[in-house]
Amino acid sequence: MTGAGEHADLAAFAATAAHAVRACAALAPPAQARLLAEAGLLGILAPEAAGGLGLDLHHAVPVIAAAAAGLLGFPLAETMLLAAALADHPAGPALAAGTMTATIAWAGMAARSGGRLHGPVGRAPAAAGCDAVLVRLAEGAALVRLDAPGVTLRDGLGIDVDAPEFDVVLDGAAPVAEIGAGACARLDADALVLRTAAIMGSAETCLAMAAEHTAARRQFGRRLVAFQALRHAMARQKLAVESLRGALARCLDLAPEDELEALPARQAAFAAAARLGPAAIESALQLHGGMGFTWDLPLHRHLRRVRSVEAQGDAPGIHAAIAAALLDTNA
Amino acid sequence: MDTDTATLPLGLSGDAYRAHVRRWLAAAVPPGFLADRPEHRPPTLDQARAWEAAMHRAGLAGITWPAEYGGHGLTLREHLIANQEIGRLALPESVNSLGKELAGPIILAIGTEAQKHRYLRPLLEMREIWCQGFSEPEAGSDLAGLRTRAVRDGDVWRVSGQKVWTSASPYAQRCLLLARTGPLEDRHRGLALFAMRMDLPGVTVRGIRQIDGKEGFAEVFLDNVPIPHEDALGAPDEGWATAIRVLGIERATNRMYRAWRFENELAHLVRACRADAALRRLLEDGGYRRRLADTVVDIAVLKGLVEPAVATLLAGQPIGARGSLMKLHWSEAHQRFAALALEMLGQASPGAGAEVRAARARFNDLYMRARAETIYAGTSEIQLGIIADRILQLPRGE
Repeated sequence: MTGAGEHADLAAFAATAAHAVRACAALAPPAQARLLAEAGLLGILAPEAAGGLGLDLHHAVPVIAAAAAGLLGFPLAETMLLAAALADHPAGPALAAGTMTATIAWAGMAARSGGRLHGPVGRAPAAAGCDAVLVRLAEGAALVRLDAPGVTLRDGLGIDVDAPEFDVVLDGAAPVAEIGAGACARLDADALVLRTAAIMGSAETCLAMAAEHTAARRQFGRRLVAFQALRHAMARQKLAVESLRGALARCLDLAPEDELEALPARQAAFAAAARLGPAAIESALQLHGGMGFTWDLPLHRHLRRVRSVEAQGDAPGIHAAIAAALLDTNA
Repeated sequence: MDTDTATLPLGLSGDAYRAHVRRWLAAAVPPGFLADRPEHRPPTLDQARAWEAAMHRAGLAGITWPAEYGGHGLTLREHLIANQEIGRLALPESVNSLGKELAGPIILAIGTEAQKHRYLRPLLEMREIWCQGFSEPEAGSDLAGLRTRAVRDGDVWRVSGQKVWTSASPYAQRCLLLARTGPLEDRHRGLALFAMRMDLPGVTVRGIRQIDGKEGFAEVFLDNVPIPHEDALGAPDEGWATAIRVLGIERATNRMYRAWRFENELAHLVRACRADAALRRLLEDGGYRRRLADTVVDIAVLKGLVEPAVATLLAGQPIGARGSLMKLHWSEAHQRFAALALEMLGQASPGAGAEVRAARARFNDLYMRARAETIYAGTSEIQLGIIADRILQLPRGE
């Protein structure tokens, strides 16, 4: 539960994030990193000793939601997670300070042989503008520099246009830092919450656009918002957004150490986001009629983004894990 | 433990209250009452009355109501705890939920001191079961079309009209009755609430057979019924407006056990599937596993809508129309689950044992009864309208 003071604090974080995201629009990734770092946003989850703010997900959630609402192309969630996970390595403070940029290849696993990394990994958002990428290993994960020998980027054929996804092809690349299996599991668990926040932020923005559009546009001699079918569609979008807000609040109220409850709550929140978020945005797009199908309106960019975030989080795998846990507890 | 005499120890709250509730329920629930046991036999009306009266004495009903009216004077936190513990067990639905969740809160909000004393304790002690007399043949979702008339005649109100879908009326002692004191043109104004005794002259109840084959609700015909003025709730023209405000909060706090009961039902379905070879195979099927996972997610979402609302109310802040979000989500998710359970259990081996047969009986009935959940207490279409109007505050648009 959050008190009134903390509530104001969180609102201030969201406002700072929204402002920074707008300012990022005209900048290249290195300049975006410096600006976001100056606003204190990259090191929210990192300990103070590693140049971070030493805060928890309560503070990261409104920031990620605001970044999603503004379609930030910078890999903010990945940077937050890496700055915390690599706090004991020089890369951590560099990420929090915005002097280095990195993303995460969410799909696939690299093989290690003789200390070198091999194989393709995928779904690394915004990798083209980054200095480094975290790749999964059978145990833990490793950070590799994208300008190192044996590292090649190729188009990942994702649909996001704001933070395009890349495959990373490793052919004997040398890791510059590693994180263990425990830290990796923590990163994955935190990522579930940040993805839910991102999807909620996009869905909420698209609902606001639909409400504005239907209030302004007239057809059949009336404003579109007068038609009950459209009002009900927006009410369902609102139910989706509030369902995600409530699911997030539950995650944040449970201590991360509470293993019995915390991870299932996070998995359920992300699974809810993967089901409800895209459907809400598709519905908001539908309410824009033909205009929703144009490149000019940002609805398609939100849809591209949430579908990518859904895939980066392996929603089908999370659903399978939820079912397996249900069957295990009722064996 | 002797369930007839067990009472709530003084001064319990929070975790100690939860421990008490859990201990009491474990000792006091007759196993046959539990719908997830093969030996399940639904309680008779008398058994249900005795059970609910015992629950009240043990501190599981009237939790937040003041002690002087028979309540326990605790907070919504304990209300939530009790509901979580009640939900975890497959207990029968209350036969006096309309008294405890509709009439009681309205009486607390608008009743006189004498009325609070007269109605609340008998209701909690299950000496008076309440029914709800709102809907009419010409006034279902739209109560502005209400035609039942109440005319003041000295010490009594003379009431005539017809009510329908009057839940619990075949066995109720009192009815929370909505009637019109002004002309029909007044629509929502001039509506008054009464705590009508069901044994007054001129009250005729005719049972309606419901979708589940039972007579749970009825038509109630009112022919010049003399309701004493002392049973009129609130001022004639403002009772209803106050009641509507109360109901907005009640929608969020009523039957708060639903998320946890839903979880109990899901666990029961899985256990029943494990007990039969044909059903065990379904648990390996990707399509069914996905729908089961979706149910887990739906329950988590429901908890996420319910628990923060309690925190908001405890902090003394308004929750507005958020009860509509919970009701809409729960009713639709529960119907999806009921259809899944019906479909899965319908594939049981013909020779399946008692556990599977008991589950089939429970979920056959649940599937049919769940049709009511998107209709009563405001249909889904009404809830969508409330969300659009009051939460999103969309302009009306000309």
